[in-house]
Amino acid sequence: MEGMTYLTVAYLGMIAGIAIWTWTVVNRSKAIEARLEAVEASIGVVASDADAVAKEQAE
Amino acid sequence: MAGRSAEALLGAGFLGVMTTLYLGFQWAPSVAIDAFESPAAQRIFYWHVPAAWAAFIAFAVLFAGSAMWFFKRSPLGWRLHVAGAEAGLACGLITVWSGCVWGAAEWGTPWDWTDVRLNTFGLLTLLALFLVLGRQSQPDGVETRDTFSTFGLYGFVLVPFTYIATRVWEIRHPGPVIGAGDDGGSLSGDMAIVLLIGAVSFTLFIIGHILMSMRITGLEQRLEQAQKHLDVGE
Repeated sequence: MEGMTYLTVAYLGMIAGIAIWTWTVVNRSKAIEARLEAVEASIGVVASDADAVAKEQAE
Repeated sequence: MAGRSAEALLGAGFLGVMTTLYLGFQWAPSVAIDAFESPAAQRIFYWHVPAAWAAFIAFAVLFAGSAMWFFKRSPLGWRLHVAGAEAGLACGLITVWSGCVWGAAEWGTPWDWTDVRLNTFGLLTLLALFLVLGRQSQPDGVETRDTFSTFGLYGFVLVPFTYIATRVWEIRHPGPVIGAGDDGGSLSGDMAIVLLIGAVSFTLFIIGHILMSMRITGLEQRLEQAQKHLDVGE
C-alpha cells in the first residue's frame, strides 16, 4: 500500500506539472501573438526584421 | 499554420502521455513481488524512462542550437537553444521527481550522492535551469547568447556520460532493461508495449513543446523589434 501512495503522489505531481507547463506555453503563445498583431499592424513592421541581434551580426 | 501543427503535436503527445499513465497503472503486468521492495511503485517506470528519453532529445536540440548560434550566428539556432533548454528543464524535472519518489519507496532514500547516473542527470537538469533563468534575467545580446551557447555546448558532455553511467558504474540506479547489448533485458512483451507507447508519446509531446517554444521566442523577438520602432517613433 505504501508503494501505491508514493505512486499516486508522484503521478499527481507530474500530471499537475505537465498540465500547468502546457497550459502556460499555449497561453503565452496566444497572448504574445495577439499583442504582436496589434502592434505590428499599427506601425507596419514586417516579420523578417525579427531577430535584431542575429541581423546585426550578419551585417 | 506552424503554430497549429505544434499545438496538434502537443495535444497528441499529451493524450499519449495520459494513455501511458492509464496503461501503466491498469494494464501493465506487475513485477515479481520478491524482486522489489515496493512492486507497486515500479509502475512509475513507464513515465520515468520516457521522460528521461524526452529530456535527452531536448538536450540534443540544445546542443545543436548552441552550435548553430555559436558557429553560424543562426537565428534558428538561438531559437533551438532556448526551446531545448526549456524542454530539457521540464523533462529533467519530471525524470528527477519521478526517480526521487521511486527511490524513496524502493531504496528508502530519494537520492544517493554516490550514484553517478543520478548526479550527472541532476547536473544536466541544473544546467537547463541555469540557462532558462539566466536568459530571463539577462538582456538579449551577442555576449549573452555566446555565454549561454558555450554552456549548452560543453554541458552536452554530460549526456553520453549519463548514458554510460549505469553500464560502467552501477551503484544504485538500475542498469539498462532495453538495449543492454546482452541478456540483461528483463521486460516482458506487455511491459515493452507500454514503454514504447510512453516513448512515442513523450517524443511527440516534447517536439510539440519545442516547436511552441521556438515560436514564442520568434514572437518575442518580433514584439521587441516592434516596441523599438514605437520607442523611436518610426
